Amino acid sequence: MAHRIVGKPIGRLDGIEKVSGEARYSGDVMLPGLVWGKALRSPLPHARILRIDTSKAKALAGVLAVLTARDLPDILVGRRMFDMPLLARDRVRFIGERVAVVAALDPDIAEEALALIDVEYEDLPAVFDPVEAIKDGAPILHENPGAYDGAPSERPHPNVQSVLRFKLGDVEAGFRASDRVFEHTFRTQLDHQGYLEPHAGVVGIDEDGRVQVWASNKMPFRLKELLSQALQLPPAQIRVNLTPIGGDFGGKGSVMDLPLAYHLARATGRPVKMVMRYTEELMAGNPRHPAVITMRTGVSKDGRIVARRVKALFNSGAYAAFKPAPSVNLGGTGMGAGVYRISHLLIEAFCVYSNNIPCGHARSPGEPQMVFAGESHMDMIARELSLDPAEFRRRNLLRDGDLLANGHHLEHVRASETLEAALKASHWSEPKPGPWIGRGAAMTHRHIGVGFTNARVRLESDGTVTLLIALPDTGTGAHLVLRQVVAEVLGLPLDEVEIEIATTDDFTTDSGVGGSRVTHTGGRAAYHAAEKLKEQIQAEAAKLGEPASSLSAIAQAAAREGRTLEASHFYDAKAHGAVTSFTAQVAEVAVDPATGQVTVRHFTTAHDVGTIINPIGHQGQIEGGLIQGLGFALMEEMKTEDGQISTLSLGDFKLPTIQDIPPLTTVLLEDAVGPGPFNAKAIGEGSISAVAPAIANAVADACGVRILDLPITAEKVYFGLKDTERRS
Amino acid sequence: MTRVIRLIVNGTSHEVEIPTYRTLLDCLRYDLGLTGSKEGCGVGVCGACTVLLDGKMISSCIALAVFADGHAVTTVEGLAEDERLHPVQQAFMDAGGFQCGICTPGQVVSAKALLDAIPNPSDAQIREWMVGNLCRCTGYYKIVESIRAAAERSRA
Repeated sequence: MAHRIVGKPIGRLDGIEKVSGEARYSGDVMLPGLVWGKALRSPLPHARILRIDTSKAKALAGVLAVLTARDLPDILVGRRMFDMPLLARDRVRFIGERVAVVAALDPDIAEEALALIDVEYEDLPAVFDPVEAIKDGAPILHENPGAYDGAPSERPHPNVQSVLRFKLGDVEAGFRASDRVFEHTFRTQLDHQGYLEPHAGVVGIDEDGRVQVWASNKMPFRLKELLSQALQLPPAQIRVNLTPIGGDFGGKGSVMDLPLAYHLARATGRPVKMVMRYTEELMAGNPRHPAVITMRTGVSKDGRIVARRVKALFNSGAYAAFKPAPSVNLGGTGMGAGVYRISHLLIEAFCVYSNNIPCGHARSPGEPQMVFAGESHMDMIARELSLDPAEFRRRNLLRDGDLLANGHHLEHVRASETLEAALKASHWSEPKPGPWIGRGAAMTHRHIGVGFTNARVRLESDGTVTLLIALPDTGTGAHLVLRQVVAEVLGLPLDEVEIEIATTDDFTTDSGVGGSRVTHTGGRAAYHAAEKLKEQIQAEAAKLGEPASSLSAIAQAAAREGRTLEASHFYDAKAHGAVTSFTAQVAEVAVDPATGQVTVRHFTTAHDVGTIINPIGHQGQIEGGLIQGLGFALMEEMKTEDGQISTLSLGDFKLPTIQDIPPLTTVLLEDAVGPGPFNAKAIGEGSISAVAPAIANAVADACGVRILDLPITAEKVYFGLKDTERRS
Repeated sequence: MTRVIRLIVNGTSHEVEIPTYRTLLDCLRYDLGLTGSKEGCGVGVCGACTVLLDGKMISSCIALAVFADGHAVTTVEGLAEDERLHPVQQAFMDAGGFQCGICTPGQVVSAKALLDAIPNPSDAQIREWMVGNLCRCTGYYKIVESIRAAAERSRA
């Protein structure tokens, strides 16, 4: 079906505020009388707090309030499992945990005041590695985690937050029926989402006693619920005002400093702004979980996978509070099965407490870790079987009707087409251009996100249409996509559809941004609301007796009778559907034998996609995710020693720069079968997860060195080459 | 200790009394209300706070405001002329050179400085010049495209 506006490469018309500096992010919000909050953080990974003396800080000119846990209600906060105190109470469990908070007239005075707070600690034994943390006799982080609200019941060790399992067939029987069995263990690193806007928020209490919140948070309605719990206030007393968000990538869904800002606002009678420094983000944000993943796979003589067992330990840090899923685990764990039909499968993921920074969600939570392990493992097995890695994959790819471990039968499976497209575009079967050059392939697939969204569309008296929505702008271009959907349905030019950003007062609920859901849930809500408005407009035109009436004439006729033409729709997609979206990627790398330095010479990314609503935005998601995957593969690492992160600035924790991007070929296999509006699928999390294994496989192909732990640094490759030399 | 300094910001002269430890970024944002420039890393690495001091790019998060006393500062708010976007700003919109937009004020200021210095840059020159402006959303491909398009537009 041909569309007028859907599918057109429309640039970021919504971005004039962003390119001109007028966009007001939460850190830019200024209010009369506003003061600044700052938190004092623990320097120790595990300690008892014996005494806190705030008298000198309180005496500093310009300081309005200093609060410790003693001044706050004894409330535990979280997103699903509520195990984190507002401020450390008697005990700290990681370096960076907040122990006191200050409000002052400016941020510099607030920081000076922090230095005047005297805290006496007594060290406690600490544990940092997830393997150590679940041994008998390991230091225990929380005495009775099962008692926390939202805590899962299964707990094989007190330091286990949660266990997530995916199961098909009988894995042990599968191993018995296998001709060969391979086992490898992989490690992935602690990695920050890397958004350039640190967490920021402003909380003020207005004349009516309502709590007004401006926050870099992507789920305003969930935030309202969580604040209601954290502040012990009725939800109606809280209003979340939406602001643009300076990058999310999964990390902006918690209450973070907002309850503290509220208590400071109460104590001072002033609105309070709290903005984390980037150093605080790196020591106490909610980064991607590091993982230790063991993969054991049984195969038949002819290279078919018979059975696989996956055990993952996610080092979750000191609190489970940042994980939003009911499992209090990482859903991406299911990707331990890869894109393959495996009749006998058992995946078990343990989220483990340790005295490290608490981890949370990051773009496709759990998947980059699991796909790195799984797709590296595939190549290692292929090598043992003397099979081309692409051929080994071909023999095992998912097909229509196959059952996933989450219980879904798949439809429209395009694993094979996607793989072949990537191989062709990357010249896989052609000779490599020289020595020390290698190619590596990796694949993944992802469901299309679900959730619920409210949309309202209104015909204005000038004949334009306004879409009211409470989905924050995290940068994806979703607001433009939603305008395109409404304009398409109503037959309007794009510039006659405006978007108005609602607050949490305007709707009752919305699942917010995340999980590759917005084009689907927001798009469908806007689509159906626009369809309803279209019916009203047609009925109104019929009433006027002039079917060709202009929209402004129709709106004005209704207005004369005191009516506004307006329609709402609540769209709720509850469960993941049978259609997923496949990705196949090929990296071509060069390894410098003298230094071990890896250069990505070319990257190919092929995607099985639905109807593309905005090609520029769609490609932007692919490119952005891919370069995040490249950073995860090659450079990003929050180095930690005994709970102390040593990479505490963006100078030490390295994100990819514009000089790091490889030449890129994108292949899109469009197939209009998605559940989104106009049969769109999701794209936001499709390009990140297979990058690291594609590069690791290419490095192994180039120089024979197999990297089992991320990131793939020059040092690791260099020492791998030295090992190979010694052995030969 | 405070001092009175004079800044010519986007062509307008301002006199402001500030503590000597105040950064130029905080002075612009909180004393002058120009919140377009952003603080990302806070240590002069990410480029979100990039402004021009007498036409030269600096990281305003690690520059003290007192050192800018008497100098001309150009921020993102000063790029448009008579409500008309600078070609770089327009190109970033047309080509999708931003997503969340938090790094964009710094990106467009650096790109303007690039085109002032090298009106017709090669892709290699674009990458070399822009290396101090991190972006986590776009993967940079569309930033290169945007700057290329802005250069073409400026020549037209």
